Amino acid sequence: MNNSPTNLAVEWSEIWTITGVGYSVVFFALVLLVFLFQSLPKVLNLGVRKRIREVRDRMGPKEVEVQEEEKYLSGEISAAIALSISLYLKEQHDEESGIITIKRVARTYSPWSSKIYGINNNM
Amino acid sequence: MKKFLTVLSILGLLYILPLVAGTTFDQGVIPEGDNGSGLLRGLAHFWEYTGFANATIGNLLMIAIGLFFIYLAIKFHYEPLLLIPIGTGILLGNIPFQEGIGVGIYESGSVLNYLYFGVTQGIYPPLIFLGIGAMTDFSSLISNPRLMLLGAAAQIGIFATFVGAIALGFEIHEAGAISIIGGADGPTAIFASAKLAPQLIGSIAIAAYSYMALVPVIQPPIMRLMITKKERLIRMKPPRAVSKLEKILFPIIALLLTTFISPTAMPLLGMLFFGNILKESGVTDRLAETARTKMIDIVTILLGVTVGASTQANVFLTSGSIKIFMLGAASFIVATAGGLLFAKIMNLFLSKNNKINPLIGAAGVSAVPDSARVVQMEGIKSDSSNHLLMHAMAPNVSGVIGSAVAAGIMMSFLS
Repeated sequence: MNNSPTNLAVEWSEIWTITGVGYSVVFFALVLLVFLFQSLPKVLNLGVRKRIREVRDRMGPKEVEVQEEEKYLSGEISAAIALSISLYLKEQHDEESGIITIKRVARTYSPWSSKIYGINNNM
Repeated sequence: MKKFLTVLSILGLLYILPLVAGTTFDQGVIPEGDNGSGLLRGLAHFWEYTGFANATIGNLLMIAIGLFFIYLAIKFHYEPLLLIPIGTGILLGNIPFQEGIGVGIYESGSVLNYLYFGVTQGIYPPLIFLGIGAMTDFSSLISNPRLMLLGAAAQIGIFATFVGAIALGFEIHEAGAISIIGGADGPTAIFASAKLAPQLIGSIAIAAYSYMALVPVIQPPIMRLMITKKERLIRMKPPRAVSKLEKILFPIIALLLTTFISPTAMPLLGMLFFGNILKESGVTDRLAETARTKMIDIVTILLGVTVGASTQANVFLTSGSIKIFMLGAASFIVATAGGLLFAKIMNLFLSKNNKINPLIGAAGVSAVPDSARVVQMEGIKSDSSNHLLMHAMAPNVSGVIGSAVAAGIMMSFLS
């Protein structure tokens, strides 16, 4: 720790420079990222837009509008679709015959388990 | 009877050993004494090596702090994954021992010293960032990039702390290291202090992690103070769906851009975005899975224990540490207030339909995901159906990027 008053007095201009420049650079870096990622979807959709324009030229504006709307899926719609698929998959069940009668169990005779051949049975 | 015989034979051995070993043993191991038998001298020597004989008030105080950390983690679930290793580390670091027996964290060649190497050389923080990158979903940020500005605004905590630390008499490098506490990012704070002021790592890391654990306690009062009831009710548009390509491009572009601006933050940001590329590429699931589970767990254990152990009472209990703790609390408050205020200012320029809930500004401090969770909790207190978690994650992860960039700038200015 440096408590010397002379050193402190000398350092303050440097401190404010570091503070000001540092904070500005952090902001600049993130503003640049904001700018990039706001324009990225537009850049990625350039091809799609071009195709829409071509289709619009061929078919007229009204029908293309509908296609454009269909492209956007809000989070809620996605969640609803995901939920319904999940429920559908979970509730899937194998087909059953519907017949609930009890089958008679037929046991074939086996002498190996027969009590009459036990060691305590004296013939 | 068996136990009695065992104890008796051990005592007998202790008594006989000096007699058998003769003078050599006596000179080499047992300290010279004017009176008393070999047994007593042996016991006295043994006593000198015990923690009871070497304990200081400082050690006991630090052990109490360690136990308090463990209590906080178990009882209140405050960042248990961090506080349990750190709390146990504090206990380990403050077991009293005689200097020179090669067990202390600051003693060259000791096991703890080897493990501490990862902290002093800044190895663990980038590995933690790799894991964070592999588990972070940047889609809320990509879908609404302007929320990134809140992460930048909250970094005011770092620069305000820097000025504050200088005003409190810290040397400029120490002030730079302390200031990163304001970023509410433990690994970044450790990384910066390893480079700028290694002697303060223990205090800085403990302050950063303690306040990160206390985010649910520190932030809500500031949020209630600064944000009106009406503002808290603002509902935000659900984030748009983000394409896979955007998710892959984000870490690549952000990696190149941020490291070009601040190359000193490259180990942190590079690993963060590398982890995210592993996750989003979709072809390295095994690597991403390892990075976000086993690897980050192992590094968290090592980092937590060694940082805790570095708080040896004779090194840690200084007036400087108390000042660092005060600055840490102030920096968290300033950072939170900065994020909230900037969110309110942003709302002045946004159309009625695009307004943001200013509560999410508090998530600009990068305590991931705790501050976003606090925003969610505060949001549902005002309106139980207004879920802000996904929106708050955007400033939260941008806060991680912002604090790493800020740390890089600090290091490039002061290194």
